[in-house]
Amino acid sequence: MGRIALKDIRKSFGGVEVIHGIDLDVEEGELVVFVGPSGCGKSTLLRLIAGLDRPTSGAIEIDGKDVTRVNAADRGLAMVFQSYALYPHMTVRQNLSFGLENTRMAKTEITARIDDAGRMLEIGELMERRPTQLSGGQRQRVAIGRAIVREPSAFLLDEPLSNLDAELRVTMRAELAQLHDRLKTTMIYVTHDQVEAMTLADRIVVLRKGVIEQVDTPLGLYNTPANLFVAGFIGAPNMNFFETTAQGGHAELPGGLTVKAPGDGKITVGIRPQHLRLADDGEEALEGIVTLVEALGAETVVHARAVDGTGMVTVLSGQPGLHIGEPVRVALDHAQIHLFDADGQRIIPASG
Amino acid sequence: MSRVSQFIFRRRGGSGWHWTDIVTWVWLIGGTILMFGPALWLVSSSLKGPAQLAEFPPTLLPYTQITMPVEGFDNPLPLYTVTNEDGTTEVLAEIRRVGTNAQMVDPDAPEDRINVNIANREPLREIGFATDNYVQPLVTNDFLRFLWNSVFVTTMATLITLLTNSMAAFALSKYDFRGRDAVMLIIVGTLMVPLSVILVPLYSVVSATGLLNSLWGVILPTVATPTGVFLLRQYMLTIPDELLEAARMDHASEWQIYWRIVLPLAAPALAVLAIFSVVWRWNDFLWPLIVLSQRETYTLQVGLNTYAGELNVQWHYILAMTVVTMIPVVIVFIFLQRFITTGIAGAGIK
Amino acid sequence: MAAISKSLGTVVTVPLAWLARIIDYPLRWWQIRTGQGGMAAVFLFPNLAIFGVFVIVPLVLNFLYSTTSGTDIFLPDRTFVGLDQYQRLLSCDDYTRRITCREDQFWTAAGNTLAFVIFQVATMVAVSLITALILNRNIAGRGFFRAVFFFPVLLSPVVVGLIWRWILQRQGLLNLIMVNLGMEPEVWLNDRAYAFTATIGVSVWAHMGFYTLILLAGLQAIPKDLYEAADMDGTPPARVFWRITLPLLGPNLAVVLVLALIKGVQIFDEVYVLTGGGPGTSTLYLTQYIYEVGFASILRNPGLAAAASILMGLVLVVLTLIQLWLSGRKEKAGKR
Repeated sequence: MGRIALKDIRKSFGGVEVIHGIDLDVEEGELVVFVGPSGCGKSTLLRLIAGLDRPTSGAIEIDGKDVTRVNAADRGLAMVFQSYALYPHMTVRQNLSFGLENTRMAKTEITARIDDAGRMLEIGELMERRPTQLSGGQRQRVAIGRAIVREPSAFLLDEPLSNLDAELRVTMRAELAQLHDRLKTTMIYVTHDQVEAMTLADRIVVLRKGVIEQVDTPLGLYNTPANLFVAGFIGAPNMNFFETTAQGGHAELPGGLTVKAPGDGKITVGIRPQHLRLADDGEEALEGIVTLVEALGAETVVHARAVDGTGMVTVLSGQPGLHIGEPVRVALDHAQIHLFDADGQRIIPASG
Repeated sequence: MSRVSQFIFRRRGGSGWHWTDIVTWVWLIGGTILMFGPALWLVSSSLKGPAQLAEFPPTLLPYTQITMPVEGFDNPLPLYTVTNEDGTTEVLAEIRRVGTNAQMVDPDAPEDRINVNIANREPLREIGFATDNYVQPLVTNDFLRFLWNSVFVTTMATLITLLTNSMAAFALSKYDFRGRDAVMLIIVGTLMVPLSVILVPLYSVVSATGLLNSLWGVILPTVATPTGVFLLRQYMLTIPDELLEAARMDHASEWQIYWRIVLPLAAPALAVLAIFSVVWRWNDFLWPLIVLSQRETYTLQVGLNTYAGELNVQWHYILAMTVVTMIPVVIVFIFLQRFITTGIAGAGIK
Repeated sequence: MAAISKSLGTVVTVPLAWLARIIDYPLRWWQIRTGQGGMAAVFLFPNLAIFGVFVIVPLVLNFLYSTTSGTDIFLPDRTFVGLDQYQRLLSCDDYTRRITCREDQFWTAAGNTLAFVIFQVATMVAVSLITALILNRNIAGRGFFRAVFFFPVLLSPVVVGLIWRWILQRQGLLNLIMVNLGMEPEVWLNDRAYAFTATIGVSVWAHMGFYTLILLAGLQAIPKDLYEAADMDGTPPARVFWRITLPLLGPNLAVVLVLALIKGVQIFDEVYVLTGGGPGTSTLYLTQYIYEVGFASILRNPGLAAAASILMGLVLVVLTLIQLWLSGRKEKAGKR
């Protein structure tokens, strides 16, 4: 229960195509996160799966059954909305029971399910309150509870934590992870926050402009981004990119440092700020001028401008005594560089 | 005390009365007298008997003649204060009036008849209410029927208005369908067509549908108010679509979404429309006047007008029934005045 | 009390809930067959059906009636006369003299209405503006006084007419005041000029509260800091009124003006009860003319009434378009 397959899904609004042929398989019990910048189509895709919108072409299958033309209510899915969409005129209990009553479920069964959900989410005390009398976190739980009592084959969550403050978001994130662990139900989770995506997901789907850029596990995305977009999107601070030219198996970076690069032609060299360190004297290094120092205590983020003008960020552990305007030389870990061709696609580096 | 008066007569900065303060208070107090005075005068007059109503100058408060049972007479006799020629006064009961003389009797000595010039006698009165003004028309003159008709028209028209207008507003605010703009345009267009412009053809339509002299002929043409659809649509636009989608995921049918989600959430707007509808329909006059030509179908407004238009106007009944007609509106005013005034300021409807 | 209202609520809502549940069955079936588009039609149908029968159809029929003659109300029984009714309404031998017009009553009613509208709207705007300005001051009991001026707005026109007819009659309150002031009593409504003035005064009395509210809302929307800034500059109060209050109140004032015009042109109910159009025809206004020609008189002429109502409708359409344009502009100004 809970296998979802998308087959060449396309969606147009008023003649403008916003989803350009998406293929995706979500396995049973998996927590898949859709992530991407705003306007990438992640919410639209979720609404298509939910059945709130119909795709212009393509098919959606749930457990092998084509549900493309099936109503939202009959797909056996439950959704948690960004605004929670709790019915403001109903108590928490009524919010939870409304959907079950509509399916003419037995009263005792409804009560049992609500009590279960109440216990699981610790909202048993709040049952007779109205949504306006709840805090943000409590509303969030009720919204999840409303999905849980349906016992759906999959949960769809549309940026469920975006209305919470930063601290609460971290707590709720952990609770969501535990909940998934306990229920083992398929979840599709939409967010623009890559930290949420990295911490929660079994697999992450990175979307941009209605196209899937990459599907992989969080560490897979981090370690082997398929293209420049994914490389730049995942990881904080963002990956440093140096545009250069490969010649005879090598490419030169500003400051004269060379890296191994297969083939000839324009390439982009990517290196995460965490994989840079201060160079020893005489060592080949990237050279630049410090433009900003963010001392965080345990580590220091150093922004610098390389000799060719490219911006470059380094995360150094400890508190090196660097100041704005001083020259800086950084060395890199050659095993950790990422190479991208002129089209921005990953080049599998020749080993060695 | 001085604190209170200081608060009440707060003035433009500093001490002393600026001329604008004087204008303000003259205007407000004068306005209060002018706005409430006529209605109070009506209420006071409605409690006066026919004889007292014919007097000039009128008294501010209603009085009734004091009567007393006198031995030898079947009915109680009215008492008068009589001024004798020597200037002394005594209280006598009047038996009958003959020309400019009145035949009177001393209640303590009922055998002696006394002739008194009517200029020398003053009726003995006390503050009292001629409640008969209210009882009579309701019991014998059909006003109970008119009252019922008005209540029926107001209630049914308001219920139908709320239902049909909210359904239309729901469709126009929450569905995206072909022709929605056209429907909106038609509704905006009909705002320009007040009833007074289509009296003749509307009469023929009502007559063709067999609704002449029926209360439904009064109700139906008024219920599809564009104003109501507008007001409700504006409000429903503020209800988030995600709520409806959540309900759809919750297996709710479209009708249930309307009935269980949107209607309860639109309650504030519905309440405003309900109050306005009650006042409008209760006060309607021209259209009922045209449609209703049989006495048993009259509403209060038409009935009042008919009685007030008779050759010999029975003011004591008319005034009392005017008060009855006014009562529901006054109740609405007292309890919902704040609600209505904010509604008007917000929506600009009347 | 609470228990009563609660049980009353149950009596009303429980059957309604049942009714709604029963309606749901056929509608669910319909929803499955037709989808959301079909449901939109269902929700629109009752309102549009009533609308169509009682507004749209009459609107079209009105033009047909205005081109026919006869006393029958059933359209096929009437004879087509083209634009004769309009010609009858509008033709005069000598346009400077009302008596020479074929339908001099129409001209009388139109002239009266014009005079009424001019004086009534001017008075209405002035009185409402003054009241709104006073209510906008920092006075005690502002809510109470706002309610005071609003009270007559809710009264039915028939009640308003009767109240004032009673006050203005021979033995009425006004004459009591006149006598107490040492003046001669009058039979106010038997005098042409007094009766005309009375219709204006009474309609202003009845409706000014509504316009006051609109203007008051406009005044309260003017940001307080503008006045504080003017105060810092030492601007004299009169100049503050002309240069700040009035320009910023402009859109509201315009809406009030046009709304009052629209209502004024259609004046009927309270005047009909107060004076019945008299004495003579001195307070005969357009709507009463249409009503009498169409329904009340023995020689009734629905065609003529329809033609007259279309002419009045044209005036109202122009006024309403101005109003929609103004309120659209006001909304835009508000957004900015």
